[in-house]
Amino acid sequence: MKTLELAERALKAAEGDEAEVLVHAEHSGVARFASSEVHQPTLIDNTGVRLRIVRDGKVGSAYTNRIGDEALAELVRRAGEVADSARPDPHFPGLAPPANPPAVNGYDEETAVLGADDQARLAAAAIEAAGEFGLYGYFTSGVTELAIASTTGVRHHQAMTDAVCLCLAAVEGKSGWSVRTSSRVGDLTPAEPAEEAAAKAARTGGAQEIEPGPYRAVLEPYAVADLLTWFAYDSFSGLGFIEERSFLAGRLGEKALDEKVSISDDALDERGLPKAFDFDGVPKQRVQLVEDGVLKGVVWDRESAARAGEGVESTGHAPPDAWKYLGPQPFALSMDGGEAGSYDELAELVGDGIYVTRLHYLSIVQPREGVLTGMTKDGTFRIRDGKVAEPLVNLRFTVALPDVLADVPGLTRDPMLVNQNELYDDRYPFAARVPGITTAKFNITGTGSGPGL
Amino acid sequence: MKALCEKAVETALAAGASYADARAVFTRRQHVLTKNGQVDDLSDSESEGIGVRVLVDGAWGFAGDRRLDEAGARDAASRACAFALAAPSRNGRQLAPVEPQQGRYETQLERDPFDVPLSEKIDLCLRAEEGMRQPQIKVTQAMVRAQREEKVLVSSEGSSIEQVLVECGGGIDASAAAGDQLQIRSYPSQHSGASGQGGWEYVESLGLDREAERVGEQAVALLTANECPAGNRTVVIDSEQMALQVHESVGHPTELDRVYGTEAAYAGTSFLKAGDLGSLRYGSDLMNITADSTTPGGLGTFGFDDEAVPARREAIVEGGVLSGFLTSRETAAKLGAGQGGSMRAEGWSRMPLVRMTNLHLEPHEGTLDDLLGDVDDGLYLETNKSWSIDDKRLNFQFGTQIAWEIKKGKVGRMLRDVTYTGNTPVFWGSMDAVGGQETWVLYGLTNCGKGQPGQSAHVSHGAAPARFRDVQVGVKS
Repeated sequence: MKTLELAERALKAAEGDEAEVLVHAEHSGVARFASSEVHQPTLIDNTGVRLRIVRDGKVGSAYTNRIGDEALAELVRRAGEVADSARPDPHFPGLAPPANPPAVNGYDEETAVLGADDQARLAAAAIEAAGEFGLYGYFTSGVTELAIASTTGVRHHQAMTDAVCLCLAAVEGKSGWSVRTSSRVGDLTPAEPAEEAAAKAARTGGAQEIEPGPYRAVLEPYAVADLLTWFAYDSFSGLGFIEERSFLAGRLGEKALDEKVSISDDALDERGLPKAFDFDGVPKQRVQLVEDGVLKGVVWDRESAARAGEGVESTGHAPPDAWKYLGPQPFALSMDGGEAGSYDELAELVGDGIYVTRLHYLSIVQPREGVLTGMTKDGTFRIRDGKVAEPLVNLRFTVALPDVLADVPGLTRDPMLVNQNELYDDRYPFAARVPGITTAKFNITGTGSGPGL
Repeated sequence: MKALCEKAVETALAAGASYADARAVFTRRQHVLTKNGQVDDLSDSESEGIGVRVLVDGAWGFAGDRRLDEAGARDAASRACAFALAAPSRNGRQLAPVEPQQGRYETQLERDPFDVPLSEKIDLCLRAEEGMRQPQIKVTQAMVRAQREEKVLVSSEGSSIEQVLVECGGGIDASAAAGDQLQIRSYPSQHSGASGQGGWEYVESLGLDREAERVGEQAVALLTANECPAGNRTVVIDSEQMALQVHESVGHPTELDRVYGTEAAYAGTSFLKAGDLGSLRYGSDLMNITADSTTPGGLGTFGFDDEAVPARREAIVEGGVLSGFLTSRETAAKLGAGQGGSMRAEGWSRMPLVRMTNLHLEPHEGTLDDLLGDVDDGLYLETNKSWSIDDKRLNFQFGTQIAWEIKKGKVGRMLRDVTYTGNTPVFWGSMDAVGGQETWVLYGLTNCGKGQPGQSAHVSHGAAPARFRDVQVGVKS
């Protein structure tokens, strides 16, 4: 709770102003490895304070990671200077009112106390399990704390933990991929993703090309999570919605996707990386985005909700400052599972098509239509007669995600939590909980390099 | 800060490090964004701390601590050593030798961007926005930014360096919407505008308000433009998109850490092998690529990199043949050539990685009209919109915001939703013209991602428009 005390100390330094203080603290370690050796081990300790001051409807924001009294006084001076220079914003909804965030359990003491020795040990356990393959990836764990205090009476604090073991097993011409993510390190066995990645890699030698065109496809959860996350940047964001970058703009209530597709954002689900409140201090809400194929809604923060008007309220999805340009974001995407018990069952549903393990370097081609491009990677196969068959080279896809989800013959029963945090900026763990799916249309527009190094 | 760095290095050596360096970094950033005539974001941030990197028994360790005091320096050094000991290296790690460096480097500027009143910055943004306004424009936005980084680097080999790097930039965007159509135009680029090292004079030179009306008009015009038809065409690509083409298909694959596989799990590897140096045909004879950390105004310009290697200019591709890699001291030692010079870290909390500095497509000859004049039936592509390339940097697909038909050497009708795709060496091999010095423009990008944990590097690329034959355009979903 020291972060909340710091937030209150900074708020006191801003006495006389309408103000809000957000403290974002990180204590983390990343044991990054390549060729089965740790080569970029990084330990980070940081505590940052963001102060927003409101003067006559004008808002100024300043940040520092110096936390002494003198530094906080300087922070107040800088934020005040910024506010004085601003112009009144008619859309500014004011600072968040006090509220009671839901109780969530996203903190695990065993994960929180992991040190460099532990992170190195857990990375070594993964490396050991990769057998003949070189292992590339990382083991990371960390504690992230958010505390927020404001002159409107908000006082929130949350500590959250996360642990991720990411494994690419690779040699020349062969590669496989696997990731495990949890808020509790006890849920992770690093050998599991390493073995899964190695087993996948072993099947990728001698990869062949295929002709571009639309294919029926199995998409593993890694691929589904990336597609949904990239689609969500514009399409599930309230800001994208009002600025008409969203596929959902003008389509709410429309049945645009297969009825087996239901998608929500649920930061309260303890099977994910639970969060109690957003970066405005607004309690997190579960938001239904798609239900039985019908487009239901988007997520909002206070600013975008105020711009939308017509009774729209924040759903608790204000992002960290580094993401602010995208507007509110669903950091806990969740897609309902289906009936299939395995990926092999999904392949049977496909009959003739392709099998995609994961994706690489996605980009938004047309946001309004949900068109994305990227490459498949580390486990792409042909499916013949309902069975996973010969390996394929990395394939370029260019797909409208609504087309991909318009006809989904099957989904796996148990969704998987897939890390989506690339560890830029200050640590803020997030992941998508999604099943593997089949689709009747996955458009391949080119071929790239083969698997492996 | 120098004394703290010295203390950190001393602590690391006492803990068993055979090599140590410490960087104390203070960064201040300012960001002004106006949107639809209102101030949307006005922020001023600062961050400071110390990052200590060590080699213990041939294994790396790194730790960053926000505390710029003796306790922070000592703790970071001790923790870095503990991490290295916990994750031993089987093979050891060697560093290419460099002479110890002592010195100071500071960006030359006329008007410090932090001395420019915020009100002046807001006024510029609002003025530019006003110029973009048109019926059917849904969103206008204008942004200016500034950054000042002060850093001290001390190494156990005797280097001691102080640097002050100042940069600023800006950009404008207009989005038009009608029916199911959404079109965007940006200037000077979609990637947070463009930035350069130097003073506020750089932002003024961009002429954001001067370009605003054209940007707004083109965004609206795109709503009724024809879609780019699919096929294989001759394309002339503007210098802004060429900058990104250089970045993605030459910059990243020539990073030697990628060649050696250390980015395999995230950014990817490379189609290049170490043995390709001096022999691999990368492109046509007109392809000359230079890495130059001395370029005035470049975001990758410095006195010394984050391993204390002095800035320099070197050829990466000469006459279409691979002639150099971007290296660290470690990868240079492994290659047995070079001495590093491309190691850069984001702030104090990240370990230096091999990064682009300023990577340029060298100009050749002629004006844009000269390039267009020799096209019977083709396209002129302007301003990046989407970008994706495979992990070995072979298959790429880029989209631009706008294109123009070229018929018998003349620019004709506007086209929307343009994409082009290709294979890196085949594409560069099809380049048959590059514009001259007068068409060469330096662009600074601030969003080059790499590493785990992720780091965003600021890099620059100078490029002239260039012409390519038989390129696949118009990829559809």
